Amino acid sequence: MKLQHYLGGLEGLEPSSFEKRVFVQPWEKRIFGIHVAMMALSQHLEAAKATPTQFKSVWTWANLRKGAEGMNPFDYFKYRYYEKWLGGISGFFVESGYVSKEELDAKTAAYLEKLDAPLPLGGEVAIDKQVIEYLRAGDSPKCDVDIKPKFQVGDTVVVRNPPPVEHCKLPGYLRTKRGTVDVVYEGTYNYPLQTGDGVGDPMPIYSVKFDSHAIWNNLTESKTWIFADIYEAYLEDIA
Amino acid sequence: MSDNIEREAYSAARIKALESLLIEKGIVSSTTVDEVIEFFEKDMGPFNGAKIVAKAWLDPEFKQRLLEDTTSAIAQMNFPRGIAGAEGEHMKAVENTPEVHNLIVCTLCSCYPWPVLGLPPYWFKDPTFRARAVREPRKVLKEFGLNIPESTEVYVWDTSAQTCWFVLPERPAGTDGWTEEQLAAIVTPESMQGAAKVEVPTKIS
Repeated sequence: MKLQHYLGGLEGLEPSSFEKRVFVQPWEKRIFGIHVAMMALSQHLEAAKATPTQFKSVWTWANLRKGAEGMNPFDYFKYRYYEKWLGGISGFFVESGYVSKEELDAKTAAYLEKLDAPLPLGGEVAIDKQVIEYLRAGDSPKCDVDIKPKFQVGDTVVVRNPPPVEHCKLPGYLRTKRGTVDVVYEGTYNYPLQTGDGVGDPMPIYSVKFDSHAIWNNLTESKTWIFADIYEAYLEDIA
Repeated sequence: MSDNIEREAYSAARIKALESLLIEKGIVSSTTVDEVIEFFEKDMGPFNGAKIVAKAWLDPEFKQRLLEDTTSAIAQMNFPRGIAGAEGEHMKAVENTPEVHNLIVCTLCSCYPWPVLGLPPYWFKDPTFRARAVREPRKVLKEFGLNIPESTEVYVWDTSAQTCWFVLPERPAGTDGWTEEQLAAIVTPESMQGAAKVEVPTKIS
């Protein structure tokens, strides 16, 4: 079991922080910008292939999430949101051979000495153009593949309990629980990688409605309903 | 405290080192990250969602379209530089009423409708919020300053696949005759995720 998949419903926690800022340190904006650039330059996009960048990898949300879910779970809670991004993304560039750990460490030491030293100048304008174009156009997972949905609105369904994988799209607290199909989304949807527990290829997705008491019995509140979007591979009949 | 300063200084130096190497190696340009940040300051932010909410409050036909087919209703709004795009490919608006209060969460990560709301604030990304919002939403909301009456149902939307949700909050009393612009000015990101109500400022200057 992976703790990161089972966050929903954890007990014994302190009150939640209501910190409304998006970034709490100026450096966080930079790692966010790098991640967006990587998604925009990901080589599964035709427009990215035609862009003069040296980035030759596929990089999507799935890669970032896989990294965070692959962390030691206790470390996961030690680091702030963008600290996890920084660790995951710099690790990716080192492991993929784009930069060496030595040069990254040396540059880090140099900037630690003098943080206001400037960034190098240069680079292709076409890279920036593709990044903004990606932000405007997006990258929909909706597929042009026609598959008849197995379930209909109103059907009672049971959430499957597949063995744990590195990266999962099923909230842990819903495993084995019963819900009702509320919406059958039009069309089919793929996922940028094969999770290994059934998600990846085009398939229908459902909005499933759960009574919170069917999940947590009396450890929840009255008149509370949970809706989750669930890939068909994670659902089965009640029989 | 000094540990904290060291931790932040290290991260600041580390990201600058990484960005500078990516520029030198031709992966990004020296202006790429600035362009992304500027895009989220000017084009993709909660100011878009606020306009959508204000329009829905004033135009019942638009509101109905927004709730039925959110993405295409927004596409018809003629935002100056277009509004669909990354993390907004499949958006859905849900309406708060006296009968139903909606709260949005992403228990597995931090999915958020970028084109209408921009980037998620820290409370939304906080593992404690993500853990508690699905099991005890009323208690969490009360800590945020929002009391949900017992007679009101609570719908919690866990963003676990393609749809990114946002909330059409209730229009506050005392705003009769307001223009779309005046209304948009009081709509907060928190109200569009169901974590707060829209409030009329006690004194408008």
